Amino acid sequence: MLEFCLHVLIMSAIFGIAAVSLNLQAGTSGLLNFGQIALFGIGAYAVAILTRAGLPWPAALPAGMAAAALGGFAIGRLGRDLAAEYWALATLAVAELVRLVALNEDWLTGGPQGIGGIGGLFPGLDGMARALATLALAALLLLGTALVARRLGETQFGRVLRLMRENPDLATALGHDIVTCKVKVLAIGGAMAGLAGGLYTLYLAFIGPDQLLPFETFLIWTMVVLGGLGNVAGAVVGALLVTTLYAGIPFLKDVVALPSDLTGSLRVFAIGSIVLAVLMLKPQGLVPERLRRHHAQRP
Amino acid sequence: MLSAHDVTRSFGGLTAVSHVSLEIGPREIVGLVGPNGSGKTTLLNLLSGFLAPTSGEIRFDGTAVRARRAWQPSRLGLRRTFQLPKLPARMSVLEVMLAGGRLPAGTSPWRSLLMPGRVRREEAAFIGKAMGLLAEVDLAGLADHPAGGLSGGQQKLLGLAVALMDDPAVLLLDEPTAGVNPSLRRRMADHLRRIREGGTALVIVEHDMGFIGDLCDRCLALDKGAVIANCRPDELSGNQQVVEAYLGRRRPGVPLRVVAGGPAGAKASGARA
Repeated sequence: MLEFCLHVLIMSAIFGIAAVSLNLQAGTSGLLNFGQIALFGIGAYAVAILTRAGLPWPAALPAGMAAAALGGFAIGRLGRDLAAEYWALATLAVAELVRLVALNEDWLTGGPQGIGGIGGLFPGLDGMARALATLALAALLLLGTALVARRLGETQFGRVLRLMRENPDLATALGHDIVTCKVKVLAIGGAMAGLAGGLYTLYLAFIGPDQLLPFETFLIWTMVVLGGLGNVAGAVVGALLVTTLYAGIPFLKDVVALPSDLTGSLRVFAIGSIVLAVLMLKPQGLVPERLRRHHAQRP
Repeated sequence: MLSAHDVTRSFGGLTAVSHVSLEIGPREIVGLVGPNGSGKTTLLNLLSGFLAPTSGEIRFDGTAVRARRAWQPSRLGLRRTFQLPKLPARMSVLEVMLAGGRLPAGTSPWRSLLMPGRVRREEAAFIGKAMGLLAEVDLAGLADHPAGGLSGGQQKLLGLAVALMDDPAVLLLDEPTAGVNPSLRRRMADHLRRIREGGTALVIVEHDMGFIGDLCDRCLALDKGAVIANCRPDELSGNQQVVEAYLGRRRPGVPLRVVAGGPAGAKASGARA
């Protein structure tokens, strides 16, 4: 039971990082990235390939972040002239493209079998100690990511992103180059998603193309929407909630003796119901975006 | 300062602005008038770099204004407002004001993270400036309120104030008084005069002739995309082309009753009789 709880918390922290990243893109900047899993996947595969080649994970992880940042940069750059909705569709297509490359380029990605037997984190430890150390690392990296995202959201950079989200013409009229802003956000969000992907690979010691299905993107989206678009704490809360639910329902079947083919559908159903309930009762999410006050002094 | 040379803009078969040349001098207030559909807003969009001309060239302070880089004129000191400001609901009034300032340290993600001291000092200076400008338009008390929650008139004032955060040399205003009540309209005129005294040239697209007459040094009248008059505002009513653009051509045999405009209008009717 304790081991299961630790597993859920580690996965929550890892997906929390991916959710904070998506929140920076979609919540703060209004960029509807439906290909978030591609950035996650680029980081995951880069870390897998590099550690397989013998690089230690503390070096492979930043390299994975850099690769995913480059991926984000490319997605932002390629679609710079597309209107928001078309760009959103294009991101979905790019994510499928990345998955299909992972599926078919056997020499690099191991094809449908993926890459297994990765060294993983803290090889010196085992059992509970290893899980605790992994959780500490993941939680620390989540905290760091959340602080970076919060800081970027509160300075002029974040202000421009929020203005770009709500009225891009006004942002342009005030001298802000929104195409460059978009590319920067995607590169930063890419680095964060790549970090999440790299951690995921190192923790599970495996990555395969099935982990890059569009469904994963929507799972990250539900975390952000449940938690509250535009609020960093919301993304973390959403990640914890969705991950617990998603991992918890198969666990529940052992308790109430549900047929196992039902549990797969049941967890998707449960997540769908919760999203609906939150959207109806608290449309801004569990932790809504706050108005930033400066306690302005009178002149 | 700001000039257009033989600028034409077509949308498919429709020529919205046709062969317009103009020149705006420093500290001038120029009105752009004309009936609905005459191309005023299109011309404003061209001047501000929001639209690319089909042919011709727009220059500001020696630099070509290009729609590929619509953000650039604003940084060089050419700013614009919008007829409907559509201010964000989830940003405070003060935040919108700060977004209009030039805060290079805070705009850079790296410096935001690594140089908090510089970002804070920069921000403090601009908060002071923003509060000063907000006080001038009576919005200082609402600094921490959501910008999108302001009334239409207040949004117009905020749209104007935010454009001033970077002390523009030329400000293009798209219908600053549309949907604004008469007392606010008078205040708007006062604000605009004060802005000019601060050294900013203004180009104003406006339907309210009284407002234009009060404020402008010079008027450009547009009809079907072309400039049909370039004169003082009080000379507009005497310009037959302008009168015809607004009221249509007089049917022969029907006497023209002149309400205002005196001898010039009488002469026009005499000439046609």
